[in-house]
Amino acid sequence: MVRAGWPRDILPSPCPIGCPAMARPPAPGSVIAPDWHESAEGKEYLACILRKNRRRVFGLLERPVLPPAVAIDTASYKIFVSGKSGVGKTALVAKLAGLEVPVVHHETIGIQTTVVFWPAKLQVSDRVVMFRFEFWDCGESALKKFDHMLPACKEKTDAFLFLFSFTDRASFEDLPGQLTRLAGEAPGVVRMVIGSKFDQYMHTDVPERDITAFRQAWELPLLRVKSVPGRRLADGRTLDGRAGLADVAHVLNSLAEQLWHQDQVAAGLLPNPPEDTPS
Amino acid sequence: MGEEGTEGTVHLLCLAASSGVPLFCRSSRGGAPARQQVGPWRSGSPKLEGLPFSVIGSLNGVHMFGQNLEVQLSSARTEDTTVVWKSFHDSITLIVLSSEAGTSELRLERLLQMVFGAMVLLVGLEELTNISNIERLKKELRASYGLIDSLLGDSELIGDLTQCVDCVVPPEGSLLQEALSGFAEAAGTNFASLVVSGRVVVATESWWRLGTPEAVLLPWLVGSLPPQAARDYPVYLPHGSPTVPHRLLTLTLLPGLELCLVCGPRPPLSQLDPQLLERWWQPMLDPLRACLPLGPRALPAGFPLHTDILGLLLLHLELKRCLFTVEPSGDKDPSPEQRRCVLRSFYTLVTAVHFPPEPGQQEDKAEDAAQQPQVPKACYLVSGTEEPGTGWRLVALQSGPRRLLLLLSAQSPVHGLRGLATRTLHALTPLL
Ligand SMILES: Nc1nc2c(ncn2[C@@H]2O[C@H](COP(=O)(O)OP(=O)(O)O)[C@@H](O)[C@H]2O)c(=O)[nH]1
Ligand SMILES: [Mg+2]
Repeated sequence: MVRAGWPRDILPSPCPIGCPAMARPPAPGSVIAPDWHESAEGKEYLACILRKNRRRVFGLLERPVLPPAVAIDTASYKIFVSGKSGVGKTALVAKLAGLEVPVVHHETIGIQTTVVFWPAKLQVSDRVVMFRFEFWDCGESALKKFDHMLPACKEKTDAFLFLFSFTDRASFEDLPGQLTRLAGEAPGVVRMVIGSKFDQYMHTDVPERDITAFRQAWELPLLRVKSVPGRRLADGRTLDGRAGLADVAHVLNSLAEQLWHQDQVAAGLLPNPPEDTPS
Repeated sequence: MGEEGTEGTVHLLCLAASSGVPLFCRSSRGGAPARQQVGPWRSGSPKLEGLPFSVIGSLNGVHMFGQNLEVQLSSARTEDTTVVWKSFHDSITLIVLSSEAGTSELRLERLLQMVFGAMVLLVGLEELTNISNIERLKKELRASYGLIDSLLGDSELIGDLTQCVDCVVPPEGSLLQEALSGFAEAAGTNFASLVVSGRVVVATESWWRLGTPEAVLLPWLVGSLPPQAARDYPVYLPHGSPTVPHRLLTLTLLPGLELCLVCGPRPPLSQLDPQLLERWWQPMLDPLRACLPLGPRALPAGFPLHTDILGLLLLHLELKRCLFTVEPSGDKDPSPEQRRCVLRSFYTLVTAVHFPPEPGQQEDKAEDAAQQPQVPKACYLVSGTEEPGTGWRLVALQSGPRRLLLLLSAQSPVHGLRGLATRTLHALTPLL
């Protein structure tokens, strides 16, 4: 990365083209096959993270098991979920993990981590990789009260997920500040923005034109999510694992895409995207 | 008694004692976490979560009025509601109103002690006794809502009432114990335990020395939370360290089975990575798996229990541990919820009325008290309908530090109750 060596404190902020140490995000669908999880092959792989049509919960001593003939590599990543209290961090992580989303807001007491396995297919090599995402979620007041929490969350993180809520304008306006603060600190770390409570779009405080402007200014991947309970199985109680996966596949694929791409860039395996190379 | 089930509501009010400003209101109807069992009464009843402000004001007012006259108002009863007041450190007043069937002052007083313990656990005593900024305190207290709601709602555990730690007996306890001690040492802490759905499977000696209420609250907290791979929560130990925070680390080895550590600044959570866990715990996979069904069952598979037994509560009053299960003959009536309810009421009754005070409640040891001739060593009760030979039998037996309560089917002959309880207690004695 050409500009990585610049002294960071002289950079203007917010820097108009995103963080200079970052490669541009890959075009959506260019790294990970976007609809592969719906193909016959994809469905077979998904079976290892399901059990009786429910999402399987894995303990730390466990991992998805595939038949030896299709054994695949696992790529593990730590992802720090950041955003002010009540924007929907805990709900998003629960939704991604296929768990019940909290209906009542209970402030998260400290740090909690959630592991999500997600098999995905690489576009270039046609290889299937098992992604292991470890989401780190921390309550805002614990972060403020205890000094060790934020460093623990940021330490060796591979990605930051910045959450704002479509129903809380302040949480959206807070983003540039957060991004700028981190710009110098964590070069080479994937950054993604997620707008939560998109199901409440009728009551939104964040109109589409603001999103467009934000995208242009920051050139960061921005996703919209609805962390609401998905379809249930015939018993009317248990969450339908496959339906839940379909609800969040775009988020998991996008994460996989950013993280895999960033790894490739960091390992020098990818040429720098032309836009990033002043000639 | 009890068999009406769990209709009725528990309302909890928390106020700043000096100003009377309400800090929060919770109720068993409103703030119950979604993942808990949904009772028929919890499905979206439009009842107010809190109480009208005027009611809060008068409830606090009457308590304050007494205080000014140096009269301690501790409880009151109306036709369908019991109210208990309790002040903590002259700073926090808790008021609980319960319209649950079979509720009692003892149950509500202990509930308030646990609730205050929960507040200290998650906010720290300092913030609760030196209230400088009420709005900030209110905000911080939000972190304790989940735990408090789980204390107000129905739980499979009974430690909130008995003040003893809910435990289970694993089939290969010594193997797990060894692995736990080794792991704790490697992690650099003395305080470690394995917890399956809120019940302690094994724990290090230091963990067992944790005082009340934290010994009960820590596993309870872990059992009441939605599944997480790992947690790093700041906690204040209400008895052992109410002003200096420690860290509660939890690591989910298998779904429902968590390794819990209480420690200081070290180790960082990131150090307890899957590789380290695998090194220590992969060889224990089978004994660990065998713990998973123990949650509601408490006893190892195949433990011989008389077929008349429908529910069992064994307390060790000195170790402050208990075994509680309503699993035996689970296919028969009454339902598990009803059985729990009946046993809870029976425990309250024998504790408040029949048996000597438990150690910790009063100075003298239960053992000494039990040897006094006028103190009953056993009692029984027939519950349910008044027709002869149809009600469930309840029997309680005290022997040394152990107290056994049994719920038995209506077929169980009354004259055999004492013998059955004695034999059961004898069989259970090596386990606790
Ligand atoms: N309708 C809707 N509600 C949401 C969504 N995400 C979160 N919530 C609700 O917003 C509240 C706060 O969410 P939570 O995840 O606990 O916030 P956190 O403090 O950022 O962890 C909870 O009551 C959630 O049920 C969403 O996408 N849609
Ligand atoms: Mg949260």
